[in-house]
Formats: sequence, C-alpha cells, structure tokens
Amino acid sequence: MSVLTPSSPEELAALLGGAASQRQSVALGGRCSKRRMAGAVAPSDLTISTSAMDRVLVYEPQDLTISVQSGMPWCRLASTLADNRQMIPLDPPFFAEATVGGVVAANTSGPRRRLYGTARDFVIGMQFASLEGKLVQSGGMVVKNVAGLDMAKLLIGSFGTLAAIAVVNFKTVPMPPRERTFLLSFHSAPEAVKARDRILAGALQPAALDLLNPAAASRVEQQGWVLALDVGGNAAVLERYARELRNVGRWTALDEPEHSSFWQQVRDFTPRFLESHPEGAVVRLSTTLSQLREVVEAMPAPALARAGSGVCYGYFTDAAAASAWLAQAGKRSWKAIMEFAPENRAHLELWPQPGNDLETFERIKRLFDPHGLVNRGRLYNRI
Amino acid sequence: MLPAEAKEKLVRRMGPRGYLDRPEDLKLYEYDGSVDKALPDLVVFPRSTEDVVAIVRIAAEYGVPVTGRGAGTGLSGGSIPRLGGVVVGFSRMNRILEIDLENERAVVEPGVVNLDLTLAVQDRSYFYAPDPSSQKACTIGGNVAENAGGPHTLAYGVTTNHVLGLEAVLPDGSVIWTGGKEPDLPGYDLTGLLTGSEGTMALITKAVVRLMRQPEMVKTCLAIYESPEDAGRTVTEITARNITPVALEMLDGVMLRMVEEATHAGYPMDAGAVLLIELEGLREAVEEQVEQIREACAACRAREFRVARTAGERDLLWKGRKNAFGAIGRVSPTFYVQDGVVPRTKIAPTLRFIGEVSSKYGLTISNIFHAGDGNMHPIILFDARKPGDLDKARRAGEEILEYCIQAGGSITGEHGVGMEKNEMMSRLFSEETLDAIRALKDVFDPGNLFNPGKVLPTGKGCLEIRQPALTAAGPVY
Repeated sequence: MSVLTPSSPEELAALLGGAASQRQSVALGGRCSKRRMAGAVAPSDLTISTSAMDRVLVYEPQDLTISVQSGMPWCRLASTLADNRQMIPLDPPFFAEATVGGVVAANTSGPRRRLYGTARDFVIGMQFASLEGKLVQSGGMVVKNVAGLDMAKLLIGSFGTLAAIAVVNFKTVPMPPRERTFLLSFHSAPEAVKARDRILAGALQPAALDLLNPAAASRVEQQGWVLALDVGGNAAVLERYARELRNVGRWTALDEPEHSSFWQQVRDFTPRFLESHPEGAVVRLSTTLSQLREVVEAMPAPALARAGSGVCYGYFTDAAAASAWLAQAGKRSWKAIMEFAPENRAHLELWPQPGNDLETFERIKRLFDPHGLVNRGRLYNRI
Repeated sequence: MLPAEAKEKLVRRMGPRGYLDRPEDLKLYEYDGSVDKALPDLVVFPRSTEDVVAIVRIAAEYGVPVTGRGAGTGLSGGSIPRLGGVVVGFSRMNRILEIDLENERAVVEPGVVNLDLTLAVQDRSYFYAPDPSSQKACTIGGNVAENAGGPHTLAYGVTTNHVLGLEAVLPDGSVIWTGGKEPDLPGYDLTGLLTGSEGTMALITKAVVRLMRQPEMVKTCLAIYESPEDAGRTVTEITARNITPVALEMLDGVMLRMVEEATHAGYPMDAGAVLLIELEGLREAVEEQVEQIREACAACRAREFRVARTAGERDLLWKGRKNAFGAIGRVSPTFYVQDGVVPRTKIAPTLRFIGEVSSKYGLTISNIFHAGDGNMHPIILFDARKPGDLDKARRAGEEILEYCIQAGGSITGEHGVGMEKNEMMSRLFSEETLDAIRALKDVFDPGNLFNPGKVLPTGKGCLEIRQPALTAAGPVY
C-alpha cells in the first residue's frame, strides 16, 4: 500500500479530510519508529506520513521558542537548538529516527524529566489537522498563554487517534555550561533508594536521577543497583555535587565524551532491547516515589526507573511473561501498561485497568473521529 | 432565571446556612477583580463533592446556569454569573486533604487559599510554585480554572505544570478522576484540558498538586534605568547570555512613583524603569549568575544595580511589586489592566507603542509586568465619572491587545479570557479553531450550563449582556 506524504499542513488537512469524507480508514504516523509501542493500528485503507513536513518555521533564539513542522526528525531539532546552546531535554527513545510529531503524539520522554518535565511542559502551541479537513490552532508562540482551551494537551500522548499534529511550537531552555554523570552503585534496592531519598531531601537538583537494577545495569556496563545522576552547572556546582555525594555513597564520575555515551545508552535502552527481542515486551509502571522501591524490587526482569519521577520500565523477553506480571501488578493496584509489545499484539491486554475517565476519552474520540477511522486501536488497544 | 422549584430543591439540599439569596448578599457575588458585573440568583456553598454533584444535578434538571467561584479575585470575569443562575462558592471546601512530602504532592480542595498551601509546608522546606499576586486570597480551584501564573512562573511554569490530577464534577453530575499522584498515566490528558477551561466544562472538587523543594539560596536584584526601553532590552540580553532568572519583573516610572509613595519599598522616584530580578538555586550557581546579570544590565545602560542584602530588603521589594495595584488606587479612582503577551524580543517596541496609545487617548498608562516571559500588564488610568473616559480606556486596551496579536503574541497570559476578552478571541484564532473549542465544550456541557458566555465569542445579540460597571480592581498580578 502506498504511503501519502503531504508536504504542508494544508495538504495534510486536505488528505485527512478527503479520506474521512469517503469513510476511508487512515493509519497516521511520522517515520513509524515506534511501531511496537502501544496498540498496532488496525489495517487501514490509507497511510499518511508527516515525514515530508520537516521544516523549521520560526526560530528566534532570543525568544527561547521554536516552531517546527511535525515531520522534522527529533535529532535535527536537537542539533538546530544545540547550535545556539539551547535544548528541549525530552531525551526521547528512538532519538535518531523519531519525528517531532511522533515524540509528542506518543509522549515519550527520558532521564532529565526530573528537572525539566515532559512534552506537556514544553509545548506552547500546536496546529493540527482534523478529520473534517480543517487546521486547528492551540496556544501560540509565547511562553505564557491562556487564551482558549489547551487542546494541545489532548494531542500529547494521543497516538494520532484524534487528529494529525502538523506544527508544534516549543519553549526551549539554555544548555547548562557543563554536565557530568555521577554513578553510585549499591548492593541492594533499599540502599539505593535510601541514597535517592537523601539526594531528594537536600539542596542538590540533578537533572536526571535514574535507578537500574543489576540486570539493567549490566546492559550499560555497570554493576549492582546503580543510581545514575546527570547534573549540570558551572565548575563550582559540579564540585559541590562531588563533595556532597560522598556522604551518600561511593561514586564514579563521567565527563565528556563518556557522559554523553552513557546517557545515550540509557536513552536507547528500550530500542536496543526491542531490536534484540522481537517477541519481547516493555511494561511501564506509573508509581509514587515512595512506592518505587517495592515496584523495582518486584520486577523479575531488567528494570530501569526514573527514580526522581516515579516511572519504572521493565523489560520482558516474551509478552506472555509481561502479561502475567501485569496481572500481578493489577492485583496490587499498581498502575501499569504494556508500553511496547511484539508486532502481533491485537490479542494482548496492553492497558488492563483504565480509570473512570475512559468513558470521557471515548466521548472525545467520537467528537474528533465519529466513525472511528484514524489509528484504530493505537491507544493501547482501547481506542 | 432560577425556577422556584429548583431554588427550593437547592435550598433544601444545602440547609439554612448553606446558601445566600437575599439581594444585599447576592450583590457581593456579582463581581470579581475585573470590570464587569452580573447578579446571581442564588449562591450555594457546598461542603463536599456529593454536595456539588447534587447542586449540578438540580441545575441540570431545570436548565439553570452554574458558575464556580473561589475567592473572586479573577481579572477577566471568570467567576461572574453572566446569565445569572447559581454561583457555587467553594469557600467551605477549603481543606488541605493530604500533604505527602515524601512524594512531593498535596491533595487539596478547591477552596484552599494558594498561599496557605505554601505556609503549610514551608517549615519543612517545601513550597507550591504558582504565585499569583493575589495569592494571599485566591484559591487553588480558581487558579486551576484560569491556569493562573505569577512572577515565579518564569522558571517554574504556570498552574498547569503543577497540577497532576483532578477530581471533577461534569455538567451531567458524574464525577471523574483525571491523572493522579503518579506520572504518565495513559489516555488523553484531561487534567491539562480542564486546567484553564475557566469552569466551562467541569467543576473541580479536588486537585493533586506538586510541591517543590525550596532553593538553597535566593538573590533579589534591582536594576535601575533611565528609560523603559533599556530595561526591555535587558530581557533579551539576559536570554542571550543563557541565564534563567526565576523572576524578571518590570515597573516603569509612572508605576514606580505610585508604588514608592504607598509602600516605601526603596524604589527610586526619578527613574524611567526598574527591573526586579530574582535568582534561585545552589549558592555556587546563584553567586555567579548575579554577576552575569549585573553585566547584562550594565550593557543595557542600567544606571544602578542593587542586590537585596537581607530577607527584609527582599520582602520589601516584593511587597512593592505585589501590592502595586493598591497603590494605584491612591492616584486614580479607576483603572483597567490588560494581560497581553508578546515574544520577549518585542518588549521594547511594545512599550513604545503603549506610550503612543497613552498620548493618543490622553490617558495615563503605567506598566508593571512579567518582563521575563513577555507578559505585559499595561494599566490604563481613567476617571469613570468623566463622560467618555471609560470608553476611551476600553478602546486603548483593545488597541494594545491588537498590537500584541500582530506581534505574534496573545491576548492573555494568565488572567484568562472570561467575559472580558471573549469577543477578541476571533481576532486571535480562526473560525475553525473556535469551532473546535466550541465542540469540545459541547462534549462536556451540551446544555451550555457551565459558566455560559465565557471564553468564546458570543456574537452580538446572542446573549443578554448587562451594562458593565467599571470599578477599581483589588490586588492584581
């Protein structure tokens, strides 16, 4: 089946509107790097990719804002900003292949969310194409804006089930003058989590605070329960971290280029795992900081946790084991989903326990897509 | 209008001390911090989510408009019952239900006063970041409805960046939980959609919010300029040097003199403008940044640069800033404040344009605003008793907002659209976008009973719009 690649938001809207008016179903994506994420799109009449919409529309570095088309590769956005020592530190997996629209639609994020937040904290405006063939605007190009409903929030994490993201406006932040990695290794989860608690209770503000269980640590050439910090600042600030972290545990520091290559491994942990495990699955647990220890300890597989935010990823070599574990997690009222699964996954329960807002989600879906035409099943087989 | 039968049901449900219906009492609920007025038919004071559900169900049964209200400090008419009906006052749902420092979260009822949350956790070195200038009075529920900002949102973000979950009563009386204490729950971000929806889609009955650790060091600086434009240029100079202050506020000369006469905060009486700049973080970072900021200010012709030496000096500078609007009342009987936003690089030309508008209409316009994120607050002084003055003030305000739109900005950065700027929405957004907003509202509120006449343009003649009466506003940010 051919893939339609509109070159402008207007063309995207026309294609989508045209398809919908003929009741044709549509598979919508960017470069489809996250094919194994969430639900698989049900077989569709048409495929539309935003990959040819890859331009920077507005970038005034001194305004700390940028507007780009959704098909722009994330890595190109990052390097455009880096030329001006700015960044949008979402650190998404599939960094090299993913498009801006895909990162936003899948709401992927990475280690530095502890300090900087996720897509919802960086998107200041958005233009999307509706199934009516219209272009709709949310927000704008200023960092503070409360005019109208924040519809962009709905599109973030919507996996293309509502509309097609055409343009995304971001706020940017300056890069820190220097960055350094501190790695602390522990014999047990309780020790590592205690160290995390001490760091969080103090004045230090690491950008990233990840926890890896031994099975995960060995995949990034580390041993034991590893607490990994990404810290930014001037030389005096980095020295301060070195001094104070001595009270928390024995550390190893990584400077460039080891610093970047370590975090690249962490960022690409999921893509690398999926590549070597075609039948593998990744579960994602949303938890609180205090419950994280229990969750990480209970993971019978490599586990990588955003220990300063409350998200834990578990890497299972087969989907059946992941499903069994999800069922157990459900019994403990843990909020978990199968974030990545094998290509063939229509039969899997990816999102076992939705909240009581699911009915509202369905009503919103019906508003945007009354005939259920776009990215059917993509939202974890539920929508 | 409120049918007698509906009123009777509501009154019975709320009990003798749970409502107000005498004309002299209702009068207190016809206005907020903005310039418009409309009388409710009844004000009810729920104590629980169940009360709110009961109120909403009765209102739905009889087709009565419902408007939520926190402390009534809003600046766009968000809590004014434009079509009458029932005002739901949340002043009795004011409990902090849970403080969970271990997880950096609090769960609050909507009537909790913004500052009270910080006061409840500050001795344990935490704070709640959004800090509108009305924070001593305004409520978290109102903040969520309007997606409120404040000076420190430059670094920390606005309300939506700090709200993680909501319990919401929908117009059909159903109750949903969106989000929660845990991050990254799958599904559409209804928390983000409802935050800033100005009470047009749901009434919030609980909110899960983020608490943050207090910084180790805070430094507050005052840079003094001969001209407002030099102060405006400093904002981009600071950005160019890759420094991020937590607050970057500007007061022009007109404002300075009014503030200083009222608060004696130590602001210079003869300056053209000042920047109030705050830096926070680790000692080692802040000390360096103060010097970098000093250089940036000097490069933009600041005539003087001071750093507050004590907490007392710092508090005084902020007191001058946050109480500024009280100070205006000493000079002008009435004023009108705008909330337009421009890209940071456009601050200097925008200030020039505001000066031209001031001359054109013969009205004094002073500026006190969040310069760091381009959120302008021009304050148009006028005398409502002078025939034609009110009309001139409105036209001047509209010209300024039009300029903000043309400059690539927005008509409101933090005050909300409400009933003050809803007709201007069509200048900012296309008809397609307004239709999308309308359709989303319909999904939640097909009967258009929740805060009708707000956010979206009403179109002439579609609504009975009462004659607005302008009065001096209270504290404004």
